[in-house]
Amino acid sequence: MIRLDGVGKTFRGRDGAEVEALRDVSLNVAEGEFVAIVGASGCGKSTLLRLVAGLVGVSAGGVSLDGQAVTAPRAETAMVFQAATLLPWADVLRNVTFPLRLMGRMERDTEDKARALLATAGLAGFEGRLPRELSGGMQQRVAICRALLQEPRLLLMDEPFGALDALTREEMSIELLRLWAARRMGVLFVTHSIPEAVLLADRVVVMSPRPGRIVDVVEVALPRPRSFDQEGSDEFQRCARRIRAHIFGERAARAA
Amino acid sequence: MARLKAGLPAWLAVIGMFVVWEGAVRVFGIREFLLPAPSAIFVATVGAWPNVLRHTMATLGTVMLGFAASVVISLPLAMLIASSRAISAAIYPLLVVTQSIPKVALAPILIVALGANELPRVIVTFLVAFFPLVVSSVAGLLATPPELVELGRACRAGRVQELLRIRLPFAVPFVFGGLKVAAALSVVGAVVAEFVGADAGLGYLIQTSMAFFRTPLAYGAVVILALMGILIFQAVTLIERILFPWSSGSEQSAPPSA
Repeated sequence: MIRLDGVGKTFRGRDGAEVEALRDVSLNVAEGEFVAIVGASGCGKSTLLRLVAGLVGVSAGGVSLDGQAVTAPRAETAMVFQAATLLPWADVLRNVTFPLRLMGRMERDTEDKARALLATAGLAGFEGRLPRELSGGMQQRVAICRALLQEPRLLLMDEPFGALDALTREEMSIELLRLWAARRMGVLFVTHSIPEAVLLADRVVVMSPRPGRIVDVVEVALPRPRSFDQEGSDEFQRCARRIRAHIFGERAARAA
Repeated sequence: MARLKAGLPAWLAVIGMFVVWEGAVRVFGIREFLLPAPSAIFVATVGAWPNVLRHTMATLGTVMLGFAASVVISLPLAMLIASSRAISAAIYPLLVVTQSIPKVALAPILIVALGANELPRVIVTFLVAFFPLVVSSVAGLLATPPELVELGRACRAGRVQELLRIRLPFAVPFVFGGLKVAAALSVVGAVVAEFVGADAGLGYLIQTSMAFFRTPLAYGAVVILALMGILIFQAVTLIERILFPWSSGSEQSAPPSA
């Protein structure tokens, strides 16, 4: 569905110096596939996501969706950020419907769909609350509902659980898998956490920093539905070890 | 009840201050034209009431017109400044110039240029009040989290939509912070203008009273000015609480610069 072909991205810094964020990145995400991107800070993971979202343009190569070049944000993709970024003035329901209202895509049953979606995310009864009345985990759930209501074919998630505490994080991961299983859209999920990537993804893309490149793609052969019980399994450990070796091996080589 | 209780220390402090004041004036026999006792101020103000009321209304008119002009001009100006770096670079220095000119110095010039009517007073009031409103509104428009702007862009919102549906609502608490400062400064501006050229208003009343050593009446005018400032400030707070309940309590304001 989404295809990155030899994508490179160079930013011009404030001082005029060029910073190469990504070099020669090629990647496919199939319909309904869950792909995680793992890498140390500064490996251009977020930039990669923004390229796919059409928020920034490529410097080299190309991004295409169903064969069409992505040059601007498209209705097929929706994004979840690290911070919930809810509108502080709007209640939960209006936050969830905001993108559709902005795009003029509101239909008669949109609000009902939003309510149903919030209910499946455990937010029934909170439709009229303001974001500041919710906990961090609940706010992020609202943000995920906001993206899902757009019925994207590709969900882009930029460290969506990065700002949450460890316990909420585990709970949210499982919940995300549940929501994803019911919809089967493609997901591109950026994270710092190796266990999170292995638990969630069909494939884990490992990136190295400066410039961001893909150093390995790890297929995770764990059966679904996934749970944290699988963390002890050989397959989980194998995948985690392989990813860790790339990330820390790289660091060790750099330090030497 | 709870709010009344919270306000109790403030009320006690004010009452206490007046009691000490009254007592000190009586005990030390301070002469009235130097420092009148609160009771004398009250008697003088009530005694001249129809006159005082007329002056109060004149000042209130200037304050409200100047304040309204600040709002009407500052908000579009803030949006313009926030919308482009080039416009901001062009306009901001000019704004700072208007702020570095003492408004008292400008008032006589404006009165000669525009005539001895309401207009120069409103302009002086506006000049005193509008700057903090512009600054805090711009701050609010620019403080919108980049992710929120990115969300708008991901939803293919244009620049106008981004401004009206994301940046402007986000700036509301900042705008109200600026409005509160502007409300208080409007009173300052109106009185400054009246000192220089007016035939009515509390500023005028203070000057004429002092010319005849009617100090209690001048003090009365000062008290009314203070009350006026407090009332307008509270009115702005009330409007914010009613129209934007999510905003109050998260207010931010630029430091006042008179």
